[in-house]
Amino acid sequence: MAVKFPKTTPIEKENAVIDGVDISGHWSRMFEQRVIFEYTPELIEKITDLPDAESFAYCYQCAKCVPACPVDIVGDYGPRKLYKYAQTGTDLTQSPELWLCTTCANCLRVCPKEVNMAKIMPAAREQAILGGSFVPKELQDAFENTAKSGNPLGQPQRKRDAWIHSAGVSVPVIKDLSRPVDVLWYVGSYPSYHPRGMEAAFAAARIFTALGIDFAVLGKEEKDDADSQRLAGEKGLFEMMAEYNIQTFGKYEWKEMIVTGPHELNAFKNVYPQYGFDRPVLHYTTFLVRYLEQLKHLLKHEVNLKVTYHDPCYLGRHNGEYEAPRKLLAAIPGVELVEMGRNRENGYCCGGGGGGMWTDSFSDPHVKMRLSEKRAQEAGATGADVLAVACPFEVSRFTDAVKSTGNEHVSVLDILELLDRSMRGE
Amino acid sequence: MSSNKVLIIGGGPAGLEAARSAAELGGEVLLIEKRARLGGTPDSEGYAKLTHHWRDASEAMAELAAAVTGNANVEVKYQAEVQSLSGSAGNFTVEIAQSQNGKTGGVVESVNVGAVIVATGFQHFDPGRATQYYNYYSFPDVITITDLEKMLKENKVVRPSNGETPKKIAFIQCVGSRDRQVGNEYCSKVCCGVASKQAIELREQITDSKVFIFYIDMRMYGYWEPEIYWPAQEKHKVNYVKGVISEVLPKGNQLLIRGEDTTMSRPMEVTMDLVVLSVGMEPSAGTRAVAQLLGIEQNKYGFIEAGGSSGLDPVATSKAGIFVAGAASGPSDLDDSFAQAGLAAARAIASVRKVLA
Repeated sequence: MAVKFPKTTPIEKENAVIDGVDISGHWSRMFEQRVIFEYTPELIEKITDLPDAESFAYCYQCAKCVPACPVDIVGDYGPRKLYKYAQTGTDLTQSPELWLCTTCANCLRVCPKEVNMAKIMPAAREQAILGGSFVPKELQDAFENTAKSGNPLGQPQRKRDAWIHSAGVSVPVIKDLSRPVDVLWYVGSYPSYHPRGMEAAFAAARIFTALGIDFAVLGKEEKDDADSQRLAGEKGLFEMMAEYNIQTFGKYEWKEMIVTGPHELNAFKNVYPQYGFDRPVLHYTTFLVRYLEQLKHLLKHEVNLKVTYHDPCYLGRHNGEYEAPRKLLAAIPGVELVEMGRNRENGYCCGGGGGGMWTDSFSDPHVKMRLSEKRAQEAGATGADVLAVACPFEVSRFTDAVKSTGNEHVSVLDILELLDRSMRGE
Repeated sequence: MSSNKVLIIGGGPAGLEAARSAAELGGEVLLIEKRARLGGTPDSEGYAKLTHHWRDASEAMAELAAAVTGNANVEVKYQAEVQSLSGSAGNFTVEIAQSQNGKTGGVVESVNVGAVIVATGFQHFDPGRATQYYNYYSFPDVITITDLEKMLKENKVVRPSNGETPKKIAFIQCVGSRDRQVGNEYCSKVCCGVASKQAIELREQITDSKVFIFYIDMRMYGYWEPEIYWPAQEKHKVNYVKGVISEVLPKGNQLLIRGEDTTMSRPMEVTMDLVVLSVGMEPSAGTRAVAQLLGIEQNKYGFIEAGGSSGLDPVATSKAGIFVAGAASGPSDLDDSFAQAGLAAARAIASVRKVLA
């Protein structure tokens, strides 16, 4: 794939004519400024009146959020700007800005007033959806797929467990076991269906087996957690999926649940409890570090690669897990771990959260590059051979992004895949 | 047994002024100070020049202390702390521990007093607790206004990393203040003025320097506006930029500050030689401890709750006969501390006389 972002310098011309209109002059004086004739506090209140969105009004325009915002870094965005737009005539529920936020919460990290876009955005988006405002087409498709097929990819439910046959080890389905298990492994939609996502599922199955863990999966009964759909504004759909999932989880006896993805972790740990589900849920990285010593004996083969790790927003900032993934990577013989400038609490978002997974085409005209592409450039700049991830959204996003930014030499691998390589010597 | 003695806890600006005022009103005063010296935070933290009037801090504190130590109605105990308090207004029994030869609690003495004024002050916010990446503990050239004050006092402002004179200096305002995440929602009142004062001093000491203040709101009331803010901008050419900094990153041997210039609505990434964090005020450890010992209410930030039941008495605490002055009840500048100290002295003397009458 050709590199999309050749290094360019800003254009400044003595004379410029666009569509027959001579717009020559100094850039800052090229256009007359638009006068603000009226302020619109009612458009701020339209947001703050929504449940969970009251903190939109807290902003005192300090602007710490703007440089922290991953969308502003590739465009022109930021919570404090949204507040001013609303104050000067923009109805957020009708504007494209509504769909650009990935709910990564880096703004919240620096916000002295605790304006929480991860709560404001879902509320405002729900309002837009209920009010019949514009919803990006690909996002609408993801909603419909989830409602119809139980996953945003639109794959048939009966094929949810098809990956099991290629895992190379036996993957027990809890329904067939008819006995309690220690670990219920919720695989997730992307590892179940996406060709690249499946690699992580295979690896996880092999690692769990090698560690002698008593685990099982839900198989054909598993459906999407729908947390990203909730953050994208489809609360009704989310509640429907949550009801189904909670009921399914309750059918079987298990001690704890392991999830492949941080979004599922967030759903089951932080949101499902509001709907009556209250069981221990762990991301696989947190789970596997418990077995670190045992794992080290299994990691027999050197993986001589320079690896940089991307913190998923919903594992790191939203759920506070920064060290387990790094400990796992450090345990792999031969791996040299290098950090990108933005890491841990300040990790840069891949663009996939909060429904961003399904709004790339919509967002493209509003940003100079995708967030995943910005991050791929940061990974490339470290000189790493591997961009290691711990979120099923990221494998496909970054695999595209390393290509489009001329960083094809950087392989995108889930930590599970790296562990598996060291275990099996491939 | 009723007592007309007024106990003042703390020998900083508020405590010294309260002692002087109470003595001048004819009261018998016992002033206790934890350190071996009077002068409070301006002395212990090595402040250079005070606002307002640009007095030399050491000289001004020595003058305040002399007015007290030279007064026959005032007894001063150094390295002394309250251990307990019992009784009620007009008749308190206070146990005071005085360390000797460096040993705390060497001598414990029981004293009968009629009223108490708490003047235990504040401490500077620890910038390591900021949720933004200012990297105070990582980069030597990120300092606080307190660190800078010490350098200004020596007339030798340098970049701690290499000893060179900084030519581009940025102040970041509201560090640890007006911040729900760190738990300090209040404004620390003095930092806008102190940063501006220091900016003026920097421009005087390093004439070819460029000095910037990045702020959310400049809050310069009273004398601060005509004496500090306007001259800083008009005469000393200090640059004020609305939009506070989100992170400080290394760039070569300089610091890159990232923020947004909000009036231009443009991202901003500028290199600086020195970054100064305008850290706010928090209740001192002494204020927290004394409030507990005396059993007086603190607000949610740990400052002593003032205002009394009427809400109209800024030096009353939740207990009759116990008064508060200065930064122990919340961020205060010197003028406010003196005004409160005078009022607390008057209230304490009146309270003692009412009981004795």
